[in-house]
Amino acid sequence: MASLIEVNDLTKEYKMGKITVPALNGVDIDINEGEFVAIMGPSGSGKSTLMHILGCLDTATQGEYILNREKVSHIKKKKLASIRNQRIGFVFQTFNLLPHLNVQKNVELPLMYAGYSKRKRTELAKKVIAEVGLTDRRKHKPSELSGGQRQRVAIARAIVNNPSIILADEPTGNLDTNSGSDILTIFSELNLKGHTVIIVTHDAAVAKRANRVIHIVDGLIENGDIS
Amino acid sequence: MAISLKESIVFGFSDFWSRKVRSLVTIIGIILGTMSIIVVLSLVNGINKQTLQWMMERGGLSKITVRRNWRYDNPNKVRSYFTWKEIKLIRSLIPEAKYMNPQKRYWLRHSYEDKEYNCSIYGVLPDFSKIEEWDTEDGRFISEFDINQSNDVIVIGTKVKEELFGNKNPIGQFITVHERRLHVIGIMKHRYMKSNNIGSDNALGYLNRRTFVPLSTMIHKGTGDDNISSLALKAQDAESAPELRKKLEAIILNLRHGEPVFMIESAQEEAEEMAQSQKTFQIIFFIISIISLLVGGIVIANIMLASIQERTREIGIRLTVGARRRDIFIQFLVQTVLITFIGGILGTLVGLSLLKMVSGYINIELIAELSMVLIALTVSVGIGLLAGIIPAILASKLNPVEALRYE
Repeated sequence: MASLIEVNDLTKEYKMGKITVPALNGVDIDINEGEFVAIMGPSGSGKSTLMHILGCLDTATQGEYILNREKVSHIKKKKLASIRNQRIGFVFQTFNLLPHLNVQKNVELPLMYAGYSKRKRTELAKKVIAEVGLTDRRKHKPSELSGGQRQRVAIARAIVNNPSIILADEPTGNLDTNSGSDILTIFSELNLKGHTVIIVTHDAAVAKRANRVIHIVDGLIENGDIS
Repeated sequence: MAISLKESIVFGFSDFWSRKVRSLVTIIGIILGTMSIIVVLSLVNGINKQTLQWMMERGGLSKITVRRNWRYDNPNKVRSYFTWKEIKLIRSLIPEAKYMNPQKRYWLRHSYEDKEYNCSIYGVLPDFSKIEEWDTEDGRFISEFDINQSNDVIVIGTKVKEELFGNKNPIGQFITVHERRLHVIGIMKHRYMKSNNIGSDNALGYLNRRTFVPLSTMIHKGTGDDNISSLALKAQDAESAPELRKKLEAIILNLRHGEPVFMIESAQEEAEEMAQSQKTFQIIFFIISIISLLVGGIVIANIMLASIQERTREIGIRLTVGARRRDIFIQFLVQTVLITFIGGILGTLVGLSLLKMVSGYINIELIAELSMVLIALTVSVGIGLLAGIIPAILASKLNPVEALRYE
């Protein structure tokens, strides 16, 4: 299978006043298309930083990031917005839905920035909302939903633009065991449909669902083998 | 790939709507600023127009008046009136003057049958009617013949007619003034102009309370003296009036050995001075209005900055799902544009509707012109936009990762 994500010697440093704090110290990762990968590590290990860079939300201080044979590390910020919109779907621990928009509008958000017509947006969003089983909650605001339902809305939003990569940052962190399990099942199904799924977690139970676990400690990859 | 402008506007509008109170407060600020500019400009314009109208009613811009200079203490007791001889000399020195009317005035009791009325009586020449552009509505005015013969005739104002004769026709009747019976030969046209003063709705009402007799009759059959304290003249046109005034001033000063016991004024020059002072007023009021709008602008900027702070996380989420910096910028700018335009238009409407009310209250007609509305709108919308652009730029420059972490 072709290599979808290729990261070479990636370094990220944060400047805090006069001190430079290293978050990633030369990371190398290869992720193939269609993989289900878990990135595991304790808090402060740099796994969120890595996810932000993989998700084109942030740029590396040094090193190379090749996404789909394209060097992302040299791309302009404007183009990064387009990559986030077209190729990546994000799922966060805290859901990150817009509280004043209903389920339908939240899911339509990436389509709006992609420039779809209102009709097309409604149609595509309806379809993915049905896929995550929330058709009867389309007109509800996030505050009227349970944690599991909110996360399903977030997943619907992540996949509505049919991205090749789904990035999830502790997607079950705020959920009870049952809801968490449901969410992970959805990720497995999405992986089966061909999406490359990358989950960042510190929970071994979550990591078990993945085909491969990448351990990160102190900004370095410890073990890239299939577990 | 882009979010359309229409979408941005719908977006901005829903943002605007979800923060009703704040938007309302800001709109009120813009309304007040726009409104005050319109009201102030119209007020100054109204005063200007009204004063000019008054000048036109009182003989136009080519009129020149000579009166006793009350501001001069006259230490050498120089004569502060003209003799008939001097009047004739002056007239011969300024042949370019179209008309000239020397006049004397007394406050006397006028009686007809059992009715009495106290008012000003003027001794004038036929030129008076020409200078004031004021003719009789019935009968005739004083003629050269009346002057030469010192006829016992009188022309009365409409108020005098009303008081002494009621509905009766006064022409041909006799009024007794100062024990002399005067033949009524004419009634002056009624004068009216909307007034600024509370208590009187007619700015020209005093003219209707006057009577006129031949100057020669007043001199020879009345007081016996020929002391003439005021003169009115008319230049060929408004443009030549200031020059005529200067010449007249030089002649009169010369007659009085350089002592300024008379004031010589030209309506044209007064109008010019007035225009100049109106301009100063306009600028001062305009600056005040701009300051109030700047305050409105600062409020907008403040609200927008608070809004960005409040919505940092939202901006982070939008950037994550693919919003470009431009999309965020437009979203925030649309809100400002909405607020400033709604405020600007409402301010214009409120300002225009206030004109009548203010006008009724201060008795000055406020006259709005399209240019004033455009100035007010440009200034208020301009300031509003400037105040909104900087916060919108700041919002669009947020780092997505940091914005997402914001609580």
